[in-house]
Amino acid sequence: MMHSRPVLLTSRRGPFVALVVLLLLATSVAAREPLPDEIRHGALLLDGAAAAPPVEAPLVDTAVSMTVTGLIARVRVAQTFTHAGSGWVNGVYVFPLPERAAVDHLQMTVGERRIEGRIEPRAAARRTYEQARESGRKASLVEQQRPNLFTTRVANIGPGEQVVVSIEYQQTVQVDADGFALRFPLASGIRCIPGTRPVGGFDGGGWARNTDAVPDASAITPPVTPVGVGHDNPVTIDVVLDAGLELAVIESPYHAIAHSERAPGIYDVSLAAGAVPADRDFELRWRPRPAAMPRAALFTEHGPDAGYGLVMLYPPEAPRAREQALPREVVYVIDTSGSMLGTSIAQARAALAYAIDRLRPGDTFNLLEFNSRVRRFQPQAVPADPANLARARRWVDGLQADGGTEMAAAIEAVLDGREHGERVRQVVFLTDGSVGNESALLAAIERRRGATRLFTVGIGSAPNSYFMREAASVGHGSFTYIGSAGEVAERMRALVDKLEFPVLADLRLDGLPAGVEVWPRALPDLYVGEPLMLALRFTTRPQSLDLSGRLAGRSWATRVPLRGGATARGLGVAWAREKIAGLEQARVRGRDAADIESEVTALALTHHLVTAYTSLVAVDVTPTRPRTAAAHDAAVPGKVPAGWTMRIPGGLPQTATPLAVRLLGALAALCAALVCAWRSRRYAEAGR
Amino acid sequence: MTRAMTWTMTGSRFWATTGSRFWATTARHGRRFVLVTLLLAAAWQGGDAARIALKAWLAQALLAHAWARSEGGAQPIRPWPGADTWPAARLGLPRQGVMAIVLAGASPRNLAFGPAHVDASAWPGEGRASIIAGHRDTHFGALEHVARGDPVTLERHGREYRYEVVDTAVVHRDAAAIVAGADELVLVTCWPFRALSPGTPWRYVVRAAPRAAPGG
Repeated sequence: MMHSRPVLLTSRRGPFVALVVLLLLATSVAAREPLPDEIRHGALLLDGAAAAPPVEAPLVDTAVSMTVTGLIARVRVAQTFTHAGSGWVNGVYVFPLPERAAVDHLQMTVGERRIEGRIEPRAAARRTYEQARESGRKASLVEQQRPNLFTTRVANIGPGEQVVVSIEYQQTVQVDADGFALRFPLASGIRCIPGTRPVGGFDGGGWARNTDAVPDASAITPPVTPVGVGHDNPVTIDVVLDAGLELAVIESPYHAIAHSERAPGIYDVSLAAGAVPADRDFELRWRPRPAAMPRAALFTEHGPDAGYGLVMLYPPEAPRAREQALPREVVYVIDTSGSMLGTSIAQARAALAYAIDRLRPGDTFNLLEFNSRVRRFQPQAVPADPANLARARRWVDGLQADGGTEMAAAIEAVLDGREHGERVRQVVFLTDGSVGNESALLAAIERRRGATRLFTVGIGSAPNSYFMREAASVGHGSFTYIGSAGEVAERMRALVDKLEFPVLADLRLDGLPAGVEVWPRALPDLYVGEPLMLALRFTTRPQSLDLSGRLAGRSWATRVPLRGGATARGLGVAWAREKIAGLEQARVRGRDAADIESEVTALALTHHLVTAYTSLVAVDVTPTRPRTAAAHDAAVPGKVPAGWTMRIPGGLPQTATPLAVRLLGALAALCAALVCAWRSRRYAEAGR
Repeated sequence: MTRAMTWTMTGSRFWATTGSRFWATTARHGRRFVLVTLLLAAAWQGGDAARIALKAWLAQALLAHAWARSEGGAQPIRPWPGADTWPAARLGLPRQGVMAIVLAGASPRNLAFGPAHVDASAWPGEGRASIIAGHRDTHFGALEHVARGDPVTLERHGREYRYEVVDTAVVHRDAAAIVAGADELVLVTCWPFRALSPGTPWRYVVRAAPRAAPGG
């Protein structure tokens, strides 16, 4: 009988009403978004204010003074460790330096005493330092973790005490079409540590455990704090710039600077703000008047054992050859890992949009993004026609940064080691390079490159430029750096010009006289605006060097005279550093690691250089820490790079399942089915 | 019938009448087809829900077995063939009656099996915070009822670490950072607890500080 049925179902509209009610119910539950007063905002900063206070790390202030003479920069980095707390502490500070920095001097200042550092093989230096630490003497140790990442350890800093660790390095000035540049990295970024199996202990005070893929992970992952939380590790920078040329422009793209001319052609440059937080890289650029930009330069030095030279040479202006119009396949690979979150991903999207607009009608292209996994725009490269370009722009607009940095998977996906027929294949990586397994990645690029040329674009306020420069070098491409949104168009224009074709390829030195050693040994391909830089060591000075290669597709040869030139200092160190970089590259190309280690160690001990296998150590004579007091290790937090949206490395995981949605879905479908069955029966009855 | 219900019915009159007409003119096997489709949909949705719940429950049973052989997480014993994780600790919320095996590495796959330890954080005794994440709808649903002062225990390498809840808060997932810090235990799950959609950016965070010496 009808009247005994539930009220809802007696109506003809019954099933629909049931569904509407169900949907309303569903949305009301789903819409329970957080109310403002319910959220206690702010960061989950695990500084443990509530619990037992952690060992207080010493505070570090840094003073950088640079002296640029011609193409050589000499830089002193004075790190002042101040221990404001009680008790004794051993501080560890992880900090970046330029990737080709030749660190050759260490001085520790304790009160009035100055102690000079000695170069020792890494393990021996570590032992020297540890013995001093145990015996209560002050000591400092400077180790290289990566060519652009170093660690200073300072033992036995007493309450209220100050220890100044002063490091000196030398570096060759970068030259490009825009003039000259010098970078000083101030933040090291937070590197993604691949590998699953933890190995060994936890010794560097970093947040990551050592893994099978990155056995020194804990040494390269210092704790970090955002600017404004804790000490900001302030840095002052003072430069004496003697370019040897009349300058038109001195500028710093990321910091405000003040400069004055102290003598004709010699400038004093400093930060306008005095001290700045260590959260973004410093760059100084200077440009001579256009006519004064040199096309070639030669510097020499006479050392006690041998002579050294530094040669800078621009290829001649060449008319663009027809080969430059070869059809291309261009693949853009964009890093969308969590470290790109914030301003970096916006810069990368803008750069990619620019690049897409500059594709030529005959080109084919593809896009790839990678974070914890790799996603392609299209399975295969597609023609650069208007429809595909429009689709590509939409795809780029939708890119979001999240997840890990599995760069190995991206390299594997994009480099297959094959020739690609008629087309010139170019791969452009846009990334901040926040990885910890650099050498494995470089080896993978070397192994899989084939005929593809690899270009890298460094994004963000503190990219891992060592990795990206080496990747471009191994991939016979070129490295471009974009440090802020305002630079995207200008830098991408330069890159797109370079993508046309290398100006000078297959370069080699012919008939090198005996007793002359030139680095880099494998000469790079040169793109628009790039000069050739060679470091020489010779026992008897050669008259000239014979260079040959292919200039814009035609064979080309020249004789570089080595007479005359200006004398300069530090060229021996520059040559040794260039050779070490060359040997490290040989390891990526498969040369025996033990061979390289012994060769680099010998070179480093001669030239007093910090390398992966040698460290500088300075030890005070008398113990200052009483035997009764213990010293605790404390890691000095670094700063979160500017523009980074900080989160726990790897992110707080997603911690909800679709369980509730599924249950509700099942319930809704079941209800509908019931109603449907009941209706069927009713109509069947009615039809009878 | 309540007033609200009357309103709903009025509002849906158009759809109700149109729908009924459609239904009346549909052939019988067409109806059967709709019925079968609805039942299949119900089975699919229900099956997936059951899979999630069963996986969470069954995994804990297997994990308990592996835990028993792992000497308190000291040995990485794989709980089932092909697993890329192992039981690393045992977490207890005595007041909520929760006892769960904690896995190493808080990947989405591991979280389906049980609460998991965030690799970037430390383990107790390492001088920094330990972070354990769990699903709000399976293992960590009970966090909703955790209050300040509640005890939390963590067993690892044969030691039992005792904590006491000092704070609960909701934070945005992007606002979380690790700073060199104390030996706290942090439990994290998604928030709000009863939302339907799994894609929330909010996290419910329970912070627990080490308790003074046992018995003290």
